[in-house]
Amino acid sequence: MNSDEILAARAAAGDETALEELVRRFQDRVYRLAYRLTGDEEEAADVLQETFLAACRHLSSFRRESRFSTWLYRIAANAALMNRRTRTRRPTESLEPYLPAFDENGRHTATPSELQTVCRIEDLLDRKALAARAVEGIARLPESYRAPFVLRDLEEIPTAEVGEILGLKPATVRQRVHRARIMLRGHLNALVEVTP
Amino acid sequence: MTDLVCASGIDLLMDYLEGELSADQRTAIEAHLAGCPRCVAFVASYRETPAILRRATAAKLPADLSRSLLASVRAARRDPPPGRS
Repeated sequence: MNSDEILAARAAAGDETALEELVRRFQDRVYRLAYRLTGDEEEAADVLQETFLAACRHLSSFRRESRFSTWLYRIAANAALMNRRTRTRRPTESLEPYLPAFDENGRHTATPSELQTVCRIEDLLDRKALAARAVEGIARLPESYRAPFVLRDLEEIPTAEVGEILGLKPATVRQRVHRARIMLRGHLNALVEVTP
Repeated sequence: MTDLVCASGIDLLMDYLEGELSADQRTAIEAHLAGCPRCVAFVASYRETPAILRRATAAKLPADLSRSLLASVRAARRDPPPGRS
């Protein structure tokens, strides 16, 4: 099987079959990424379309110094960001209140059982309700955390590659993913909090 | 690193899980975890959060969208916008 990079070179030279093979290989991943970044199926469809049309237009500028997937995800992440910015949205509430609480000695104030409730959320919440709250939580992340979190933790792209996609140092990616994960952990936990 | 508490340990968690900590920091965080069931519970939920969200947001590309995407790409290749090769 041809590598993505070979297909990209052939597509840039005008090979329609190679281009269509790239679309088939990446359309599911780009759509899922777009959905996770925008939180909306209609917007995800727009982002998917914009991503591949932009990729077609700029294929000749793709240099094989990076992976094709890195290049394509960068286009998709930018398209999702532009799309979010052009749509009117209701202001979202910050997830800051879901950060863990500590006492004056720096110890968790919650009990182990309270801290771990989130691990049982799929048994405690209806699947549709959880899906809706998951999307809502990701949308409430600070913009600078959203793409690093989605790419690293949801798309499971290695930290170094996420850095390459977003133009960030790996340490910055780790820090933003960490902050996002802590906020989302708290957000999910609050949905199923054990009340004493 | 002798006075690690839950609050300062959390700041190191991502680097700890990704193997980016120095040996000293790693020893300190592991010593803290050995005696702190709250942090053990927190780490478990911190590790599980991405998997929960991944499953909850695994959108599938609708078949009609896949067909229209391919049609758009073909059309764009046939008729590139003016000024483009």
